[in-house]
Amino acid sequence: MKIGIPRALLYYQYYRVWKTFFTTLGAEVVLSDKTTKDILDNGVVATVNDACLPLKVFHGAVINLIGKVDYIFIPRLKSVAKGEYICPKFCGLPDMVRYSVKNLPPIIDTEVNIRKKPRQLYKAFLSAGLYITKDKNLIKLAYHKALFENALFIEKLEKGNALLDVLANKKSTNKKGELTVAVLGHKYNVYDQYVNMNLFENLTKNNVSVITAENISDKICNDYAAKLPKKVFWSFARKLIGAANHLAKENIVDGVIYIMSFGCGIDSFVADICERTLRKNKTPFFLMMIDEHSGQGGFNTRLEAFLDMIKWRRKDDLDISPYGERVYIGKDAI
Amino acid sequence: MKEFYLGVDVGSVSSNFVLIDSDKKVYKKLYLRTIGQPIKVMKEGMAKLKESCPEDTKILGVGATGSGRQLASIMVGADIVKNEITAHAVASLDYCPDVKTVLEIGGQDSKIIILRDGVVYDFAMNTVCAAGTGSFLDRQAGRLNIPIEEFGAYALRSTAPVRIAGRCAVFAESDMIHKQQTGQSLEDIINGLCQSLVRNYLNNLAKGKQIETPIIFQGGVAANVGIVKAFETELNAKIIVPENYDVMGAVGAAILAKEEVEKKGYTTFCGFDMINHDFRARSIECGGCPNICEVVEILDDDKVLARWGDRCGKWSNTIVDKEKTAVKEKLEKLTKEKILVG
Repeated sequence: MKIGIPRALLYYQYYRVWKTFFTTLGAEVVLSDKTTKDILDNGVVATVNDACLPLKVFHGAVINLIGKVDYIFIPRLKSVAKGEYICPKFCGLPDMVRYSVKNLPPIIDTEVNIRKKPRQLYKAFLSAGLYITKDKNLIKLAYHKALFENALFIEKLEKGNALLDVLANKKSTNKKGELTVAVLGHKYNVYDQYVNMNLFENLTKNNVSVITAENISDKICNDYAAKLPKKVFWSFARKLIGAANHLAKENIVDGVIYIMSFGCGIDSFVADICERTLRKNKTPFFLMMIDEHSGQGGFNTRLEAFLDMIKWRRKDDLDISPYGERVYIGKDAI
Repeated sequence: MKEFYLGVDVGSVSSNFVLIDSDKKVYKKLYLRTIGQPIKVMKEGMAKLKESCPEDTKILGVGATGSGRQLASIMVGADIVKNEITAHAVASLDYCPDVKTVLEIGGQDSKIIILRDGVVYDFAMNTVCAAGTGSFLDRQAGRLNIPIEEFGAYALRSTAPVRIAGRCAVFAESDMIHKQQTGQSLEDIINGLCQSLVRNYLNNLAKGKQIETPIIFQGGVAANVGIVKAFETELNAKIIVPENYDVMGAVGAAILAKEEVEKKGYTTFCGFDMINHDFRARSIECGGCPNICEVVEILDDDKVLARWGDRCGKWSNTIVDKEKTAVKEKLEKLTKEKILVG
């Protein structure tokens, strides 16, 4: 039996979990292709007009799987942590897809809602597992295996490995560059190389090493988030705001790039809080807004200017001119 | 013999050329309309520069900036290719070393650059909307049948400005039409438009940024005295409009070229001969993968000078390698010559 997983949205967070679970049950997991113009175009046509870019990519990825699989796995995620929510679009995702995409194979749309009772998580896995096998013991085993795999995944990330490398089971390609920049944002915006317009490659080419929120431990992020005057009740926002606070306090990066998709309700708060936090600490901050019509040219200009600015500012820190002359004239400036 | 550094700024609406001498003084400036034909305007600009310079002029270095900087750099053999923000910041720092804020409104984009102690501290560029840029003003001037040069003067004659929605170009236009129909005077409407554009700029770009004096206002729109006045009232501060406000990007590129050439010791400028070459752009649709990138190829007669537009680098990389070997060869030649001379 072939289970299709769209390479979009929370694939970047939970792929290891889902893959381990389904393969332990004896199913074969099929991933959709990496995002391309084709996939995005299909998604744009299929999705309701007002949806955000990541949702459009998701629809495209689902269309990409049609004809290749027996089931498509689209969980209905309501809450993935106790007392917290995630974006409401995830709650309605299976329905959205069902009504927008034609000729769909059956969808496995198990509901995950552990806002009140974390134990509900097993129930979600059980209902998904029953599509494949009747053997409840096997499902339980697969569930535990999946959670274990998730813990390993998180541990690897917190050791500083790049998420895409870990997902692809590759050795870490992180090199220490001349500058270090943190890239923040929702995972499906940050890690989709098509959506982010090859940001990572671009940065590496400019001799910049990258860290992301996933490289900062949950504990650190939670500690910082807990210090805020009010509880952050979006799960992914908590991580991001915690990470921004950590980066501002510890001064471990030269700048922060925040990737936000146009029209994201959660990011309209989170990006702003991150920006204020980092600016207060004088960390260079750059908000990159992406949408389906984003042009590479304008993006490159901004990125180039941002990196110039960081280098320029950093140089200034070490080389303060005493008489108000410009200080950027130097052998390695700009 | 006259020695100059050349700065080229190929923008969406205008293409500017500037020659500066070794004291960074502007010797000659050219402001041309791009009208969507960057290759043609590049050749035209270079031809005009050549004409206006004495015979024995020597170009010591070239810098390119603006949205067409890649194209420009290929055509003239630029020593340095820089983004507009850095170029504008460099130029305004040269004009006023203790500048703290640079407002720049060009044809299709607007930016704010915050500087502290002679260093770019923060910047922003307009994101999704072109309301309040030169193109929009141009269009409205055309619609009202007023030459764009006189637009600002009209605004200054206003006695009671009307409020125009400046959030969006489409709404601003319908608002203006509405105000016209109700019989408001042209002067007041234009003044209202200037004020709303300034409000829009400050709300969008300058959001959360500390605007401190000295403030420099540059870019084509700085010619509009109505906008300058509106900025002054809104910010309650003096706005400096530099003499070369319309070509500051090119000035910055020229200054950067000067520094670059002084550092590396030679220039890659390919001479004024380029005006006789037949440059063409050709676009290819790559079918290598489902991304179907539109690759642009720049040809000089039949020689491929550059390719870009591909995501994977399949097309552009082949050229980069060639470029590297060309530079290497040139360097080797130069060192050989030096050894021979020495």
